[in-house]
Amino acid sequence: MTSDQGSREIDLTVTINGMEVRRRVPARLLLSDFIRDEVGLTGTHVGCEHGYCGACTVIADGDAIRSCSTLAVQVDGSDIRTVEDLASDGELTPMQQAFHENHAMQCGFCTAGFLMTLESVDPDDYREPEQVVELLSGNLCRCTGYQNIVKAVCSVWGVEGRRRDSQ
Amino acid sequence: MTVQMKVESPTGINPMIRHRSGHIGSSLPRREDRSPLLGRRRYVADLKLPGMLEVAFVRSPEAHALIRSIDTGPALALPGVHAVYTAADLAEVGSFPHTIQYIRPVDQRPLAEDRVRYVGSPYAAVVAADRYTAEDAAALVSASTEFETLPAVAVLDQALAEDAPRLYDSWPDNRLVDFPAEKPEVTKAFEEADHTFTETYVSQRQTGLPLECRGVVAEDVDGQLTVWSSTQSPHIVRTTIAMMLGIPEPQVRVILPAMGGGFGAKTHQYPEDIVLAWIARKLGRPVRWIEDRFENLVSTVHARDQRHDVEVAYDDDGTIRAVRCAAYCDVGSGEIFMPGTATVFVTAGCITGGYDFPNMEVRPVCVVTNKTPSGAYRGFGTPEGMFVMERIIDRVARLTGADRVELRRRMILQEDQMPYIMHSGGKVDSGSHAKGFERAAALIEQSLARAKARYADDPDVRVGVGYNNYVEPTTPTYHLTTGHWAGYDSATIRVDPDGAVRVALGNTDLGQGAETTAAQLAAEALGVDPDDVTVVMGDTDRAPYGLGAWGSRGAVVMTGSVLMAADRVLVKAREIAAHMLEASSDDVVLADGGFHVAGSGTPKVSWAKVATAAWARTVDLPEGMEPGLEMSGYFEPPDLEHLPGADGKVNAAATWSNGAHAGVVSVRISTGEIRIEDYAVVHDCGTMINPMLIDGQVHGAVAQGIAGAMYEHFQYDPETAQPRFASFMEYLYPTCSEVPEMTVEHFETPAPEQPLGVKGCGEGGTIGPPAVITGAVSDALADLGVDITATPVTPAAVRRAIREAAARGAAS
Ligand code: FES
Ligand code: FES
Repeated sequence: MTSDQGSREIDLTVTINGMEVRRRVPARLLLSDFIRDEVGLTGTHVGCEHGYCGACTVIADGDAIRSCSTLAVQVDGSDIRTVEDLASDGELTPMQQAFHENHAMQCGFCTAGFLMTLESVDPDDYREPEQVVELLSGNLCRCTGYQNIVKAVCSVWGVEGRRRDSQ
Repeated sequence: MTVQMKVESPTGINPMIRHRSGHIGSSLPRREDRSPLLGRRRYVADLKLPGMLEVAFVRSPEAHALIRSIDTGPALALPGVHAVYTAADLAEVGSFPHTIQYIRPVDQRPLAEDRVRYVGSPYAAVVAADRYTAEDAAALVSASTEFETLPAVAVLDQALAEDAPRLYDSWPDNRLVDFPAEKPEVTKAFEEADHTFTETYVSQRQTGLPLECRGVVAEDVDGQLTVWSSTQSPHIVRTTIAMMLGIPEPQVRVILPAMGGGFGAKTHQYPEDIVLAWIARKLGRPVRWIEDRFENLVSTVHARDQRHDVEVAYDDDGTIRAVRCAAYCDVGSGEIFMPGTATVFVTAGCITGGYDFPNMEVRPVCVVTNKTPSGAYRGFGTPEGMFVMERIIDRVARLTGADRVELRRRMILQEDQMPYIMHSGGKVDSGSHAKGFERAAALIEQSLARAKARYADDPDVRVGVGYNNYVEPTTPTYHLTTGHWAGYDSATIRVDPDGAVRVALGNTDLGQGAETTAAQLAAEALGVDPDDVTVVMGDTDRAPYGLGAWGSRGAVVMTGSVLMAADRVLVKAREIAAHMLEASSDDVVLADGGFHVAGSGTPKVSWAKVATAAWARTVDLPEGMEPGLEMSGYFEPPDLEHLPGADGKVNAAATWSNGAHAGVVSVRISTGEIRIEDYAVVHDCGTMINPMLIDGQVHGAVAQGIAGAMYEHFQYDPETAQPRFASFMEYLYPTCSEVPEMTVEHFETPAPEQPLGVKGCGEGGTIGPPAVITGAVSDALADLGVDITATPVTPAAVRRAIREAAARGAAS
C-alpha cells in the first residue's frame, strides 16, 4: 500500500439534481462520498459500504445504483438524482406522503434508499404484492419489519396488499 | 376517551390534568418523518466542521495476543497523516469504571495496552486529513505491529475447561460472574416428581445491527468540549467522558443528532467516544470517526450467545414440578462498560414468562472468550429464556401426551393472580396473559387449517404451530446493569411568551417516535395542540440530565416526567390566570386552550397572556410571585427496586407488559426449508399513547425476533476465534422477503401504579419468535421425532435434526 493509490486525480463533470458539478477528484473516491462530502448532499446514506443494504441508492441516468460501490469517476457525464430531488418546494411526492401516513419509517436511515429504488422503476411492472416484496428486498431496514413499507407502496401503486395467509 | 388513569396528577397538587382532548390514544403521524423523507435529517456522519480531521482506528487482527511493539513511523510518514496515538499516549486517561463488585474487574483501557483479547479490539488511532488517508495509515500501523499470539478460546466449553487458556491472568478461571442458586423447594420437587429429563438449549450469538453504524465527532473550543455521538444515553456518555478525561462535567456537552437505530447496541460506553474527545482536546481541531460495517460487526457489542443446561421434573399428567437451569452466557472478552453481564440475569429472572411457575432455579454464569464483548440487544435476555421455557413445555407435552395448548392453559397467569410475584421477585402488576393466549391461538387457527389443507397432497411438506406467552420487563433499573445509574428520567417544560410549549427531555429518540409521543403527552397535559409543542432531547446542554432510551422505558418515563413538569407549570399558570381573572385559583379551570372561572361566562385568559406575564410583563403577576414559567419533573417510577432484598429477589422493572405470539410454519422435509405461513401477536402494553407507533415497534421487533429464530448467527472459527463474518453478505440480515405479514392486536390493561397506566413496548416483539418458530418446526416434524433445541433453525439445522432423530429412532 502506498500513498500513490490515493493521489491520482481525475476531472469529473456530473449533473446532480439538475445542477452541473465539476470537480477534480481522487480516482478512488466513492460516489457516495462524493455526493455526501464533496457536494454536501447528505440525504444519501451509507449503511454498509459494500453494496448490500441499499441505503446509498441513487439514480444514475434513470437506473438505481449503489453509490457506495461505484467510483465517482464512473459516473462522469451522467445525470444523478438523489433523495433531495424528489419533493419540489417541500411538497412531498405521493410515495413520500404514503411513507408518512403509513408509518413506513422509524429511524429514517433507510428511507432515502427505498424511495430512490421505488422512483427508478415503472409501477406498471409491479402489479402483484409478491412483486412489490421482491423489489423491496434489495433494501434493508432494521426498524420497521417492512410491513408498513409494503403497505405504503401498495397504497400508492394501487396493488392489493399482501394477504397474511398466503405468505 | 375512557382510558383509566390512576395518577391524574403526579404531584398530587393539581387535579386539572385529564384526558379531554384525546391526544393520548391517537395515532398521530410523526413529526420526525419530514426530514428523512426530504433527505434533510442530520445523523452524526452528516456533520462536517471547519478544519475537521478524520480518525481511523487500528484494530486487532488477532483473537488473543500480546502487543510486542508498534512502529508508527511508516504511518506518520504518509502525507496527510497528522498523528498516530497508542495506549501510551493516553496514559493520562483513566480506565473504564469498575462499578459492580460481584463482577471480576477487566480494567478496560480506551485503547488496548499490551494485550488484545478479540479481533476488532482497538489499539491505536490515526488522525489524517481525510478518511481514505486515515485508513491507509491504519493499515500501515497494523502491518507494523508485532504480536505474540496466545492460545485463543472461542467456545464456551473450552473456556470452562480446567486447563483452558485464561483471558485474565489474575483470575482463577474464565468466569466473569458465577451466581450459584439453590432452592430447597426445587430440590424437594425433584425428589417427589414422577419423571425428570435433562436437555441443553442454545441461543446463538447475534448483534443489533442498526442500519446506521456508530460515529463520533468531537470539538474543543476554549476548553469547552462538544461531542456528537450516536449514543442512546448522551448524559451518561458525558459523565463518563468527564470522569475518564478528568475534566469538569460542565465543560463537556454531548449531543445525539438524529439516530439511525440503536436497539441496545448504542447504550454502552465505547472507547471511541473517549478517544475522540481526547484527540479533539489534544490537537485543538475537530475530529470525526464514522464506524464502517466491518468495524461495526466486530467492535460494537454482540448479544445472546447463551447455553442452558436444564433439568426438568414433571408428573405423568404433564404437570411441570420444577426446573433447574445453569444459564451460561458467553460474554466475549468482557471489555465493555456497562458490562455485558446483566442480560443473563434478566434471562434468569424472566424465564418463566407469562406462566405461574415458582419452582424455577437458575444459576447465571458469564464466561469470557476471545470474541467481541457482548452486551445489550433488544430483548435483553428475555428471548433466550422464553425459548427455553416454551421448549420445556412442549417436551413435557410430548413425553406425557398432554395437549400443548391445554398444558399452557393450566400454567398461564390469571387476572385474579395479579399482582403476581415471579420466582425472581419480578412483580407482574397486571396483564391479559390468559385472554391474550386464547386470542392469539384463535387468530391462527384458521390459517393452520388452511395450511394443512394446502399441503395435504404434498408428502414432503409438514405444517406445525408454535406458541409463546411472555412478559416484557420494561422501564428497568439501570443499577443492576451499570452499578451506578438507577431508574428516573426527566422533563423540563417551559411555556414561552407566545404561549408555545417547549419540552426538554432526558429521554432520547432512536427512531421510535419519542418526539411525537412527548408532544402528545404535553399537549394532553397542558390542553394545547401538539403542533404548539416543541420537543428537545439528546443534547446535554439543552435537556435535563436523564438516562436516555433503553429498556423500553421511554413511554413510561416520559409520561411520568412530562406530567409532573406539566402539573407544576399548571399550578403556577393557574395562579397567574386567577390573578388576572380576579378569582380564586381554586375556581379557575383550563379548557379549550385557556383559563377561565368554572361555570361562569368569563372571558378566557390564554396561555400566551399568562406566559407573557411570567416572562415579560411581570407587573401583571400576583404580588410577590417569582417570574418565569418553567418547571421540571424528575420521575422515579413507582415500584421499581434497584437492589435485591435479603432473599436475593428484586422487582427490577417498573412495568410488565405481556404478549402472546402464535405462528404457523410449513417445513419441507427434503430441503429443510421453513416458511412462515402466518404469524399473530396479541400485545398488551397498558394504555397506548400512539397505537400506530406501537404497532411499528411490534413489527420491527418481531422481524428482529424472526432474524434470531431463523437466520442470524455470528460465527467464529472454533480453533482460532477469528470471526467468520466481515459483511452483510455472510450475516443473514432479513429482507422484506423473509419477514411475513403479521397480525397485531392489542389489549390495554393499564399498569395500576404508573401514570396513565402506561407500560413499555419497545422490545416485546423480539421475545416470541425463537420460541414460536422452534415450537412450530418441532410440531411440524413431531412424527419424525424432531425436537429443536437450538436457534437459529436454518434449513441445515432442520435437516440435521431429522437425521439425528432418525438415528435415535433406529438406535432405540
Ligand atoms: S451503503 Fe451502499 S449498499 Fe449499503
Ligand atoms: S427506518 Fe430505520 S432502518 Fe429503516
